[in-house]
Amino acid sequence: MNENALAVNGLTKQYKDFTLDGVSFAVPCGTIVGLVGENGAGKSTTMNAILGLIQKDAGTIEIFGKQDAQIDNAVRNRIGVVFDGNNFPDVLTARQLSNIFKKLYDEWDEGEYFALLQKISLPLDKKIKEFSKGMKMKLSIAVALSHHSQLLILDEATSGLDPVVRDDILDMFLDFVQDEGHSILVSSHITSDLEKVADYIVFIHQGKVVFVKPKDELRYQYGVLRCGKAQFEEIDRADLVAWRRQDYEWEALVADREAARRKYPKAVVDPATIDEIMLLYVKGEGQ
Amino acid sequence: MKGLLLKDYYLIRSTLLFNLIVFVVIAAGMSFLVSTWVLTVLSTIMLGTLSVTTINLDKSSGWRKVSCVLPVSRKTIVDSKYALYLLLSGAGLVLGFVLGGAAALLKNEPDSASMLIFAGISVAMALLSGSISIPCNLLLSEEKSIISLILAYPLSAAVFIAASLLTGDRLVTCAVTAVLGVILYAVSWIFSRKFIARRDVA
Repeated sequence: MNENALAVNGLTKQYKDFTLDGVSFAVPCGTIVGLVGENGAGKSTTMNAILGLIQKDAGTIEIFGKQDAQIDNAVRNRIGVVFDGNNFPDVLTARQLSNIFKKLYDEWDEGEYFALLQKISLPLDKKIKEFSKGMKMKLSIAVALSHHSQLLILDEATSGLDPVVRDDILDMFLDFVQDEGHSILVSSHITSDLEKVADYIVFIHQGKVVFVKPKDELRYQYGVLRCGKAQFEEIDRADLVAWRRQDYEWEALVADREAARRKYPKAVVDPATIDEIMLLYVKGEGQ
Repeated sequence: MKGLLLKDYYLIRSTLLFNLIVFVVIAAGMSFLVSTWVLTVLSTIMLGTLSVTTINLDKSSGWRKVSCVLPVSRKTIVDSKYALYLLLSGAGLVLGFVLGGAAALLKNEPDSASMLIFAGISVAMALLSGSISIPCNLLLSEEKSIISLILAYPLSAAVFIAASLLTGDRLVTCAVTAVLGVILYAVSWIFSRKFIARRDVA
């Protein structure tokens, strides 16, 4: 088996006012990779290029070992996609969707689909327009999981949902990757969701990949150093990834939390959340 | 393609009853005022238009994006719209023949020449307008594509009038515009497969 379910290399797409610039990362089999970044950073452009919804200007996309034009219907049969919001005509019912997808996917598993709908308490014969936003999202995920897909690509699948529904959905993702052959690429600006489930974080800012790191490295090694102005003046800038001034203190991102604690014992060094890392990279000054 | 057509069938079915009632009311009125065979034009255009509206429904519901990540090619998606248009226009033509024929028998006015002329007009109008409205709806935003739908029929009528002025014979005009319709529809289909299918969706 190929060790990466998805590999993106040097992906470039030029628009009049935005450029996705040489984006590269991979989704290893059996992992969840979170794509994070502020609104307009290039997450959706990256997702759309991977899915073939937009033509890329440069770079390669490899899915299950097949590159670009080789990504055929056999490969697409193995990919489940969930977009933000409802993307099914709302006059249809969940049962009608099954009838449709039965004719589109080679391995549509109606039994699995109905069982999933029952598990997540979705009615079969109610029109989608009568569903809540959370129900619509769960339906999209149920569809994505019901054709024996091995790679899920989820674009802002949890945005706009309440914490309970989001948690249910994250549980579905975790169940899915119990199989080592299954992988997920999920873009989200709700970083707390990714902190719960992702194995790797890809951070995109202004169309460029800032870093690709294992989530545990960010959680256990990165830190936010907080100190006063005088102390900040004495800190070696080489120890800092990025920094910014807050109302009463300076805040700095450090790549090695323990080393920073040892070197600057008077400063407070807390574990960094992905949100804080993102904010410091985006709004702070850096090397 | 079957799945895509089934989805469109479900969409159309949800509004079919309303459209049929409108058709029956208009048809009943018109069959007393003009030739009963005018019903073939009416039903062919009405059902053909229903298939074009599914393109906009796909856009507004987000299905357009979903369809592009399914294990079907973009060309198949385009093909499904052109095929659906032909299927529904054909069904409309048959429905028009049945209703027009029944009305003609009721009025005791069987007229095979009129039937042929209106069959030609139906085919010509459906294909000419389809060759404009389908690519426009695939290509343009929802608002602009509605304008294309409104313009497609007057344009088709203009072609018909021009042909009528040139040939001076009603039957020949119908035959010429029907053949022109077939050619333009085929060109439109090929153009859409080649160029529109490749365009960015997001």
